Amino acid sequence: MLAGAAVLTALVLALLTMAYLRPHRLAGVTAGQWIVGGGLILPIPILMLLTGTALVLGEQLLPRGEVAYRAEARAEQWAWRFSYPDVPGLPVSETLHIPAGEPVDIAVTSADVIHAFWVPRLGGKIDAIPGHRNVIRLQADEPGIYRGICAEFCGPGHETMQFRVEAHDLETFKSMMAGAAP
Amino acid sequence: MRQGDKIALISLVAGFTVWSVGFVALYGLQALGCAYGWPTHRAVLILAYGILVAVLAVPAFWPLRSDGEASATLSVAALWANRAALGAGVLVFLPVTFTSTCV
Amino acid sequence: MTEPAVVSPVRLHKELDAIWRTPPGWGRLSSVNHTVLGKRFMVLALTFFAIGGLLSMLIRAQLATPESGFLEPALYNQIFTMHGVVMMFLFAIPMFEGFAIYMLPKMLGARDMAFPRLTAYGFWCYLFGGMILIAALLFGAAPNGGWFMYTPLSSRPYSPGINADVWLLGITFVEISAVTAAIEILVSILKLRAPGMSLTRMPIIAWYMLVTSGMMVLGFPPLILGSILLELERAFNLPFFDPTRGGDPLLWQHLFWLFGHPEVYIIFLPAAGALSTIIPVFAQRPILGYRAIIAAIVALGFLSFGLWVHHMFMVGIPHMALAFFSAASALVAIPTAVQIFAWIGTLASGRPRWDIPMLYVIGFFVVFVIGGMTGVMLAMVPFNTQAHDSYFVVAHLHYVLVGGFVFPMLAALYHWLPHITGRQSVYRLSVPAFWLIFIGFNMTFFLMHLTGLMGMPRRISSYPSNWGWDWLNLLSSVGGFVLTIGFAMVLADILMQLRFGERFGRDPWKAQTLEWATATPPPSYAFASIPHIESRADQIDPAALGSRLAGGEGYLGFARANRQETLAVDMVTGAVEHVVVLPRRTLLPLWTALATGAFFLCLLFRLYALAPLALLGTLGLFLLWPGSLGETADQGPLPIGRGQSAPLDAEASNNVTVLASRTALVTNATLYSSLLFGGLFLLVVAPNWSSAPETAVSWAMLLAGVGAAAVGGVAALVGDRNNSGGRAPGPALWMTVAAQIAAMVLLGATAFLLADPTQHARIAIVFAVLAYCALHAGIGAVLSGATLFRLARGHVSQNRGTAPRIVALWNGFAAATAVAGAALIAVLDTAGAVA
Repeated sequence: MLAGAAVLTALVLALLTMAYLRPHRLAGVTAGQWIVGGGLILPIPILMLLTGTALVLGEQLLPRGEVAYRAEARAEQWAWRFSYPDVPGLPVSETLHIPAGEPVDIAVTSADVIHAFWVPRLGGKIDAIPGHRNVIRLQADEPGIYRGICAEFCGPGHETMQFRVEAHDLETFKSMMAGAAP
Repeated sequence: MRQGDKIALISLVAGFTVWSVGFVALYGLQALGCAYGWPTHRAVLILAYGILVAVLAVPAFWPLRSDGEASATLSVAALWANRAALGAGVLVFLPVTFTSTCV
Repeated sequence: MTEPAVVSPVRLHKELDAIWRTPPGWGRLSSVNHTVLGKRFMVLALTFFAIGGLLSMLIRAQLATPESGFLEPALYNQIFTMHGVVMMFLFAIPMFEGFAIYMLPKMLGARDMAFPRLTAYGFWCYLFGGMILIAALLFGAAPNGGWFMYTPLSSRPYSPGINADVWLLGITFVEISAVTAAIEILVSILKLRAPGMSLTRMPIIAWYMLVTSGMMVLGFPPLILGSILLELERAFNLPFFDPTRGGDPLLWQHLFWLFGHPEVYIIFLPAAGALSTIIPVFAQRPILGYRAIIAAIVALGFLSFGLWVHHMFMVGIPHMALAFFSAASALVAIPTAVQIFAWIGTLASGRPRWDIPMLYVIGFFVVFVIGGMTGVMLAMVPFNTQAHDSYFVVAHLHYVLVGGFVFPMLAALYHWLPHITGRQSVYRLSVPAFWLIFIGFNMTFFLMHLTGLMGMPRRISSYPSNWGWDWLNLLSSVGGFVLTIGFAMVLADILMQLRFGERFGRDPWKAQTLEWATATPPPSYAFASIPHIESRADQIDPAALGSRLAGGEGYLGFARANRQETLAVDMVTGAVEHVVVLPRRTLLPLWTALATGAFFLCLLFRLYALAPLALLGTLGLFLLWPGSLGETADQGPLPIGRGQSAPLDAEASNNVTVLASRTALVTNATLYSSLLFGGLFLLVVAPNWSSAPETAVSWAMLLAGVGAAAVGGVAALVGDRNNSGGRAPGPALWMTVAAQIAAMVLLGATAFLLADPTQHARIAIVFAVLAYCALHAGIGAVLSGATLFRLARGHVSQNRGTAPRIVALWNGFAAATAVAGAALIAVLDTAGAVA
């Protein structure tokens, strides 16, 4: 996408330069050719292909069906609280634990104003809106610590509203959850 | 204002006005279907899509006959605008056929 | 009346100037002249641009280093919020308004805009509203919830101070000027053109402005409604956006972005219109693809209303709905591409030459095309989930807005400043200023793409140094200061031109549009006589035409009866229709704006007992406006020069006043539709409706009120029909007054007898709808009464039927809103909560 954009930008600017420096080369191009060629034939196939691909990709990212692991993220000014509906005994914490290599559905809610849940290295973001419950499906391919932030402006503590995501290998994760269960 | 001029002026925005109404209708149907759990949700949406495209095709392929310099030029611009509206209608609402309705 | 005698150009100038000029000293406050007010709008907008720029410098100073302690987070929040607010609401939109007000009449061959006093009123509203916002900033009470003011952060529990009220009331006050300007621009383009200038002979920029003003007429009401509802929630606890009581924060987002996205194109289109005017001048050939561009901007105008949810991709809307908005966002690139290639083609097939405006045009191409590319990227949902609310978006929006508005406006500044000053550019500073701006801009904002992709979110006041954003932010800040130095040099350049620029004759650029046919600087009346246009109006010879017009060879080349006269034409063909008598200078707009300002200040400081007084004062002052206009006897056709004659506007059936009233009702209908949409939206989407309390609406009283409003509407229509048919309109108008007063009382009583509207959004919406309908019935009664007064004074006759026509339009509308309101209330009252 980036390369394509660069090529198209370069093309437009090259035509513009040519209009000044080598006008005779473009003099034969008619009005209709400029408008139909540049305005319609050039962008339409590119945009259709791009949008189509993005929509198909978007479909695959949707949290459809059930996954084995679920978590709840509740935002408030200015902290995140994570819990696990399948392990009700686990104390609410400010660190999210997930298994590596497995998709996890995270249900995001808010106790006060709008926040947004974002772990840049794990993928997209989703808003935490009071009165709504949004689900995002994330997957950490490698165990490790990932940094998360609030991406929607939520008042004077906005930049302090960070959290940690710890991805464990599946066995460690299972034993953590089991050990915590009553 | 003469009748022919008025029609030329209206036809300039006719296609896109239909497109806007269709946009609101399809977005509304999508939301209502999810809220009330319609079993035939996608079928309703595709039907609405078909009707919309059919209506949009009318001004796009049925240019006005015009008299007078102003309305002649307007009619040409209107024809292109209405074809653009048809194209926009076909492409923007094509996702009703394959994207997920309520997730 | 016979045609006044032909006089010498100098004497004609003196006679016309005596009628049109703005006196010096305190008399300046009474000006209603488009040249004067257009300049005031632009100077004030540039002042706000400087203020907004200063705020951005504070932002960049804060973010230059990690862990910065330069600004407290609370202050930083005010500064970034105000930067956005000032640039969007106080710079970009008013700058366009000022440009249009100054330029349109001169490009279209009219002597002024259609409603000079409304121009002045809009200017004062803009000035006072802007002053409220800036004063709040100085007192440390500026809005601090972001320029988008998302609820619940901006609701009373989370923003208890006055800050959010300053936004809601100050911006709404300023928006009055946007809506009045939009209506005025639309009507002026459609009606006040030189004879012979059909719609398709207009210079292409007029098409851009026509579409822009149409978009403003439809785009601003959702924002105004949203602001009213949020202020009602903050002030009176009506829970439209509170999710615990049946409201929904997403309703605010929909209303805000339904305005907010078209807003971007409202800003871009006039600038594109300026480009479409400047490029042909320097390519030395007419614009390529005139008809294709018309189709493209019509498409752009509509498509831009189908994009708003791309600001809300992350709020949890189903993928299919996102797909509509994603596809529309991608598609909007096509009409833009049509224009880009029309411009390149114009240059390629002409004989392009260089001058300062073209430098900025090239700057526009580079910056805007990059902004368009990142725009298409952001339209793609999977990419958006990553880049949304990151610095990538900051970079994108600055490329689009600065590329799409500031660079073209700088080109326009260098192109048209000679018209305003009568002097040519000095050039010494112009070229280095351009390079500083161009390099500074790209250095600041190109790097932000990277900062964003590296995960830096927007609107944070500090960041730790171990995340790798340090050097990018530092370079962005350095670039920001380079950019500012560039703007300072442009300012110096303008001052140099004002002081040292060489004077010139007509049309220094060899442009072929009509504005260069006025003297420069332009006289108060713009054209000593109005031309007849026989070709497309971007292919005329202004230098030759200008001296003929100054000699009085065109239409209305005389001063008559101490009246400000210009011509109105058929909307499409440009055939002469009537003579418009424009109101002369007066302090009424200033007084009315002061009363309006008093109303807003009462609300801001919670003096709710005084607010109705200020509102009545405003309404009373508005009722004084028609006093100086109109005739007490039919005049018949008057000579207009060139051997032709035309009736006065008072005797024309489709005059500018009627057209403006229709347009205003379209705006009003959009606002009301947004309210009805809000009710349905909450019913279907909002949480906490399964336990919604009963509204306890009194159906007997409500239906009686709707019936009364319907009677009032029908009676007003009968009154208008009677008047134009030569029968007395009086009885029907009295009937309208009585019926609408009854409707107001019944609908108002229904509203006050509802269950407590602070309990739940269901009741609050019903309350708001009823209050709206009661207000419209009341205004209908007042208008009908005012027309009875004008009838008694002899201002209304069979031929002079404007007042009864407006009464019919308003009361018909009021009746329709009452019926639609009752239908919505029935739905909300009976439909069960969504499972």
